[in-house]
Amino acid sequence: MSADLGAPTAAQPVAQPETGSQDRPVALPRPEVTPAEPFAVPVPIRHRLDNGLTVLSYDMPGQYIHSLRLAIPVPVHQEPVDKEGVATIMARTLDEGTARHTALEFARLLERRGVALGAGVGESGLSMDIDVAKRHLDYALDLLRQCLTEPAFPQDQVERHVATRLAEIEQERSVAGHRAAAEFWSTYFDPTARASRPVGGRAETVATVTRDDVVAFHARHIAPDQATLVIAGDFGGIDVIDSITRALGGWTAASAYQAPPPRPSAEVASDRARIVVVDRPESVQTEILVGCPGPDRRVAGGWAPYPLLGFLLGGAPTSRLDALLREDKGYTYGVRASFRPRRRDGVFHTSGSVRADATVDALRLLLGVLDDAREGFTAEEVQHGVRYLTLTAPGRYATADAVADEAAALAYDGLTTEFTGHTLRELAGMDAERVGTAYRRFVDGQWTVVLVGDAAGFIDEIRELGRAAVTVVPT
Amino acid sequence: MPDISYPLAERTLPNGLRVLVSEDHTVPTVTLNIWVKVGSRDEVVGRTGFAHLFEHLMFQGSRHVPSGEHFSSLLAAGGRLNASTWFDRTNYFETVPKGALELALWLEADRHGRLLDAVTQENLDNQRDVVKEEKRQRYDNAPYGNAMRDVYATIFPEGHPYHHPTIGSMADLEAATLADVHAFFAQHYGPNNSVLTIVGDVTEAEAFELVERHFGPLPPTATRRVEGAMPPLPPLTAPVRFEHRAAVPNDRLYLAFRLPADGTTDFLAAGLALDILGGLSSSRMVERLVRTETIATGLSAHPMGLAGGVSLGIISVDVLDEVDPAVVERAICEELDRFAAHGPTEEELEAAVAETERSWLSALAGQDERADQISHYAALYDDPGYLNSFLDQVRAVTAAQIHEAATAYLLPQQRAVVAYLVEPDAGGSESPGDLTSVQAGVAQ
Repeated sequence: MSADLGAPTAAQPVAQPETGSQDRPVALPRPEVTPAEPFAVPVPIRHRLDNGLTVLSYDMPGQYIHSLRLAIPVPVHQEPVDKEGVATIMARTLDEGTARHTALEFARLLERRGVALGAGVGESGLSMDIDVAKRHLDYALDLLRQCLTEPAFPQDQVERHVATRLAEIEQERSVAGHRAAAEFWSTYFDPTARASRPVGGRAETVATVTRDDVVAFHARHIAPDQATLVIAGDFGGIDVIDSITRALGGWTAASAYQAPPPRPSAEVASDRARIVVVDRPESVQTEILVGCPGPDRRVAGGWAPYPLLGFLLGGAPTSRLDALLREDKGYTYGVRASFRPRRRDGVFHTSGSVRADATVDALRLLLGVLDDAREGFTAEEVQHGVRYLTLTAPGRYATADAVADEAAALAYDGLTTEFTGHTLRELAGMDAERVGTAYRRFVDGQWTVVLVGDAAGFIDEIRELGRAAVTVVPT
Repeated sequence: MPDISYPLAERTLPNGLRVLVSEDHTVPTVTLNIWVKVGSRDEVVGRTGFAHLFEHLMFQGSRHVPSGEHFSSLLAAGGRLNASTWFDRTNYFETVPKGALELALWLEADRHGRLLDAVTQENLDNQRDVVKEEKRQRYDNAPYGNAMRDVYATIFPEGHPYHHPTIGSMADLEAATLADVHAFFAQHYGPNNSVLTIVGDVTEAEAFELVERHFGPLPPTATRRVEGAMPPLPPLTAPVRFEHRAAVPNDRLYLAFRLPADGTTDFLAAGLALDILGGLSSSRMVERLVRTETIATGLSAHPMGLAGGVSLGIISVDVLDEVDPAVVERAICEELDRFAAHGPTEEELEAAVAETERSWLSALAGQDERADQISHYAALYDDPGYLNSFLDQVRAVTAAQIHEAATAYLLPQQRAVVAYLVEPDAGGSESPGDLTSVQAGVAQ
């Protein structure tokens, strides 16, 4: 099976007891589910260091591996347009040598105490992740301090990561899902928007990134005052705020630092409602990606209906899309739908890969499900979805890494897991009318469609669907 | 490192079902995890992929559960669930609010004991189509997607149970019949060929009582698989290779080695050797090929534990554009020779152990993974307490044992190489050869 998310169900018949034999063993009546205990999403203790660093701490007894997530809202739209990807190269070279250690020495320092450290840049900014055994927390924090405050960005390591990113661009291009996503963003957003281009840069821009560019970007954009450090784990017998203050209290901004300006809105392309086919001769499947504008977390009427809508449409083999395309038609291993809030300019995405010779029917049915959902959802569907999302919450937020990930994702948006708790409480009172209204607020049948597959096999019929203008581009 | 000690209680029902319970009251949820001792290694000629296809049918209804309802009723109760199939086993699992544990047990007992009443040709045909799309999505339509299939076919001899991949072949999936489903269930599914683990917010007494109530009535209908019966498969004595030219973005090499079966000190030692060679960011091969000589853009190494007399060790490397892959392969072989000559340093051993500790404790942080590990080592190695003893076992491995394992299992002449090479001017997606042609030139 593919999915661990699911969709609503009809009322269940209760099985009757029966007599059994060796061949037909006794079955008991279907058990009733007893009500779940009330659950509150963990909320942080908030602390602000004198240098402006916000610390959100979650004490989770029994979680012996501490998860730390540093979120810095580095504005990728401020990358020079001919150097796009410089933020990503900077992130990847933060731990490739410091004032006191070479890249190899630093890797050894991390690994001799089992410190897992990663860094990357996404649409929201820079993220640094550390997972470390509780007893090595102070050790790990000191290494984090070195990465942040005295990275050396050795010339050879910068060059190496440029070469690696260039290879990665080719690898991404070869994967149908990645290729579809890249084509989607460039079709959906106006070309003037940074979001229309890959966060990690394109080959022609990455290739020009130098050590000086990396050093300058770091000095200009990496500082504690907009940063949030999340820490989750078992705090028994230790003072994590004291540890963090000792390690990071002396972190200051460079003189070149510029606080991030307000984030510009990303313009959606005026001709976004069209179909783009990325031609890959001989593909045995077609990757489909369909999207339209969606809400961000501050949408009028509240965010809560949108995770539910994603779940009802494309969460599991029993969701509307998979019930038809997977369980009835057998066209696909699974189709997923989700509302992605981003920081602003959210998007509603539906994606999956289907058997090549079923491409046209699959797209027609998929768009039909999404369009028909404007008619609304039954109270029963909504209730089952609400139960799933609310009742799975204790398990979904049971480990330090899950809580830290959620908290960090929200931190870029100026929110904490209090928002998650609020969303769950809103969900508990959700009704079908509100869900239908929320869907219609954004979904109007105007879709950006990307197909990655063997165009010769379906292009004429796709045109005959008459959904939108069709263009074909090379892979 | 404070030693972890998760509680563990065990009971075997009269029908042979082995039951393990580990209380954890930190979260009001319970994980139910069942391992059935059947995997792709148990498949017969002409029916590769069947264990996995069968796993899909387990979600299509049983005597008292209509098709699709296993999923829908657990989801509606706040359950997260799935199943997976691998060489040695098939597992089924859900994490539910504790008030839904009995429903989960009832549903599992119905399909593990009374599946066949509900299996229809329509369900078989539909899930066959779904599995074919799974195969296309994950393997046939992905760059390097069939590389591991080629590794298995290259390093394990024809006819060996690990020679073919779990996903199977299109032709064999096509050939599967309802009669196969009935025979497979009768032979492999039943309480006497399964292990059931419960981890979470429930007392041992309650858990045993609930399992007894729902699984106790099932008769021991399966043919119990005896573990440890597959003979050891010694390392290769000369290199073998398989080259595949395709529309891949860069040359990639997989160097594979036959390691000892999992659950042995030799396997742990060989695994630590692989970490030191290429599994860590500070590993020798990463340092030389990726950081210093910059002839590769990435390199990784990991052991893949298996139960049937042999495991697999894999080193995979992405070759930098315009670098000769032979140069990269030679450098890897030189590092293997160097390691075999001198063994690890104390600092390398310290790092490999520290990384193992952290990743093991991270994995056990959630009830679901903990339950899976308990089932795993109970079902395949008769050692459910492995989750508590594993780190002590790892820390007890000496540099001398790692050195010895490397000289026994990780020598250049013991490698099987699968090379996926960029096809000049390749048009379109990769069109892999069928498995038969892969086997021809390489079978040992």
